[in-house]
Amino acid sequence: MREYDIVVIGGGLAGLMAAAAATKRGKKVTLLSLGSGTLTIGGGIVDVMGYLEGGIPAATPSAGLLQVGDGHPYKKIGRPAIEESIRFFKEICEQEGYSYIGNLDKTQWIPTAAGTLKPTCLVPKTMDTTELKKADKVTVLGFDALKDFYPSLIAKNFKKIPAFAQKEYEVVMVDPKLSEGRDVTALDVARWLDTEEGLASCIEKMRNVIDSGSVVIIPPVLGTRPDYAVKEKLEKALGCHFVETASVPPSITGLRLRTMLVRYLKKNGVRIVEQAIVAKSIVEDGKCVAVITEGVDRERTYHAKSFILANGGFYGGGLLAEPGKVIEPIFNLPVEAPTDHELWANYSLFSSEAQPFAKLGLDVDEKMRPLDADGKVLLNNVFVAGRNLRGYDFSFEKSGNGVAIASGYQAAMSV
Amino acid sequence: MKKHHNNPDSCTACTVCIANCPVTAATRKFRGPKMVGPTLERMRLSQDDIEPSLEYCSNCKNCDMSCPSGVPISTLNMLARAKYFKNRKRSLRDWILSHGEKMAKLSAATPGMANFGMKMSRGILKKIGISDKAPLPAYASKSFIKLFKNLKQTSYPDKVVFYPGCFINYNDPQVGMDFVAVMQANKLEVIVEEGFVCCGSPLVVNGFLDEAEENAKQNVQILKKWTDKGYPVITCCTSCGLMLKQEYQELFHIEGVAEYAKQLYDADEFLLDLHDQGRLNTNFGTLNEKYMYHAPCHLRAQGMGLPGVELLALIPGLDVQDADAGCCGISGNYGFKDDKYDISMEIGSGLFKAIKDSGRDTVVSECGTCRLQIGHGANVKTLHPLTLVRKSYEAYHK
Ligand SMILES: Cc1cc2nc3c(=O)[nH]c(=O)nc-3n(C[C@H](O)[C@H](O)[C@H](O)COP(=O)(O)OP(=O)(O)OC[C@H]3O[C@@H](n4cnc5c(N)ncnc54)[C@H](O)[C@@H]3O)c2cc1C
Ligand code: SF4
Ligand code: SF4
Repeated sequence: MREYDIVVIGGGLAGLMAAAAATKRGKKVTLLSLGSGTLTIGGGIVDVMGYLEGGIPAATPSAGLLQVGDGHPYKKIGRPAIEESIRFFKEICEQEGYSYIGNLDKTQWIPTAAGTLKPTCLVPKTMDTTELKKADKVTVLGFDALKDFYPSLIAKNFKKIPAFAQKEYEVVMVDPKLSEGRDVTALDVARWLDTEEGLASCIEKMRNVIDSGSVVIIPPVLGTRPDYAVKEKLEKALGCHFVETASVPPSITGLRLRTMLVRYLKKNGVRIVEQAIVAKSIVEDGKCVAVITEGVDRERTYHAKSFILANGGFYGGGLLAEPGKVIEPIFNLPVEAPTDHELWANYSLFSSEAQPFAKLGLDVDEKMRPLDADGKVLLNNVFVAGRNLRGYDFSFEKSGNGVAIASGYQAAMSV
Repeated sequence: MKKHHNNPDSCTACTVCIANCPVTAATRKFRGPKMVGPTLERMRLSQDDIEPSLEYCSNCKNCDMSCPSGVPISTLNMLARAKYFKNRKRSLRDWILSHGEKMAKLSAATPGMANFGMKMSRGILKKIGISDKAPLPAYASKSFIKLFKNLKQTSYPDKVVFYPGCFINYNDPQVGMDFVAVMQANKLEVIVEEGFVCCGSPLVVNGFLDEAEENAKQNVQILKKWTDKGYPVITCCTSCGLMLKQEYQELFHIEGVAEYAKQLYDADEFLLDLHDQGRLNTNFGTLNEKYMYHAPCHLRAQGMGLPGVELLALIPGLDVQDADAGCCGISGNYGFKDDKYDISMEIGSGLFKAIKDSGRDTVVSECGTCRLQIGHGANVKTLHPLTLVRKSYEAYHK
């Protein structure tokens, strides 16, 4: 019988990071993945802690971490492991040639396609705002026919942001001549720039509209591959600095990060099974011995010494909402939820409070093992990571990918 | 959460499939899986809407594999295509490409002539829309069924049924023979049922859904007959396997598929299962050889990982490296079409480059048409994993 040290369930950021940390520890890992996770939708920017309860921006991610409540995953993981996980994440990125910038002691405010600023912690180098902050004059570059990116709106809204109000803005357009066929998305432009001809032609077109030395805000189009080749070639040819905005789905930064992490795992011998729908588990004496996938043909059993449950929240399929209760379908772990559905959501519109519904999830100990209502460990060799954890509202506090990285890492280190 | 529910409403419009569709990446003419699949399907349910770019979908299934909501996008596309062609005239090109089995039978009398004729008539094929550059397969001088009939097997109490499929039967019978040899080395006797017909994959992709359903009915009956008796059925072709176990369930309403599917195996996975049970003949001789491996999309879609890679890892000395560079572009007969050839080669370009960069001169892959495309695009030799397994067994006895 084939037995692995660790089976990771779920190939989102939490599962990928768990698998990466486990393989780094020399463990034999199988990753059971289904679909491509939230990364390609949500993006590859790593928020750690943007807003505190009450909607107050955290001064820094570090300061935010100090103020989270007892039930928060960060509280269980603890500061040293969170720091370690971020260091490990950045180390992989560096090693794979797609390094990230940022640290826990600084909030990075990055431009969005709507011309607002969003707080985050780690970003790829394509979103470095150092030069943008220094510049007196900023160019906002759009592409003809590209949907979901309106340069004049960005310029107009930036004028309203105190730190950016003094700058001068110029809006310019480049026609990628991609109008044949379907609507143009950032992905299409990024793929155009992936090619040598596309890049050369884009450089020529840009030369006509931007001056050397400019700082240029552009949509996330600097190539689909997890490297900085497109950015570097453009900047060298034009003598400019480019800053990508946060993206709309499908997210190029998320796509790049996912491609890079999957490649890293495969290189390091992680066995990845795609389209693996984990349906149930075999538990004996408080230990999981195997999980079972349900294919259209038959069930398949995966044995391992330990299991990491990283199959997302309500969106990913890790938690299921049923009338009056919330279910964790694989181990049937308890999810405490008010029986009155009305209480699940915080209905006051534009509430400055996190949503109770969004905080539902699995309770764990500091090793990420699942707990029952009395705080007793339910399964000794199962470790939980990511969006299925209880006690945080990623969307409200801006902490999604940060919790995924820290908890995935912690789960793998606890095994 | 099984995937054969053709419900377009589970689509949340997240756009992940668009990012993962190789055809969308290769041509702007295709509007992409989300739009052509679930979005339009919702409209099609209420009206007879025609999406011209639907013809670009190759049924490679990368969209299905990436979708977080389990939408069977590619199957929605195939059903829509069948609906489109319901009352329309079909091109000779599409008929020929879909009816490989009939074509093979027609030329079976004089196979030498058939291949000669094929070469001579590439100009004619081009006129009807089949690319003159595409790697069309040649017919073998003897079909697998013929070779098999002349083979003396050792009889064993444990038996397995083999579903050869058209490509192995008519174009690449040696793979079938290697399969039989490997089964025999594991003390298993192989049964081949002549009543099996083409799984229907080439018919489905060209919209001949009714004919595919006729084939399905016949295959289902035979498959069920054997699995009811407790015999496993094994395929060496990943597209046949996917069609028989999954697409039949998504496309048609034929009783019995879910039952036999439990016993329908990919050959590599079957051998690994034997290994798990401690039953695999592990008298593998050393093969000090280096190969690249390509995972067919239709294998990846089956949720069993890469059994070929795991199996070959058991052979001492063998060094097999997964190219891990995505779709090869051929998608059955998609890349044979004149208007799709360039798209198909563009899709495969990343894989061809990875293979060339590796410096290895032979690529291992389960799918017959992937092997054709890779041989053509990367200018290398190709093999089925079982050919290496057989070779290793033989090396043990030398
Ligand atoms: C629109 C949007 C924008 C966002 N923007 C940001 C942002 O800018 N910054 C940030 O930090 N965070 C952001 N987030 C949040 C962040 O994306 C998530 O919190 C985080 O990525 C969750 O990772 P995960 O691995 O826990 O879950 P997921 O990414 O959901 O991964 C879970 C995986 O498990 C799989 N799975 C589920 N059930 C099974 C099963 N039974 N068997 C096998 N596999 C299974 C799923 O298919 C999925 O692939 C955003 C989220 C969304 C939705
Ligand atoms: S089956 Fe392949 S070509 Fe068709 S939409 Fe899906 S990914 Fe694209
Ligand atoms: S990936 Fe699935 S849910 Fe997302 S847009 Fe495509 S079909 Fe819809």
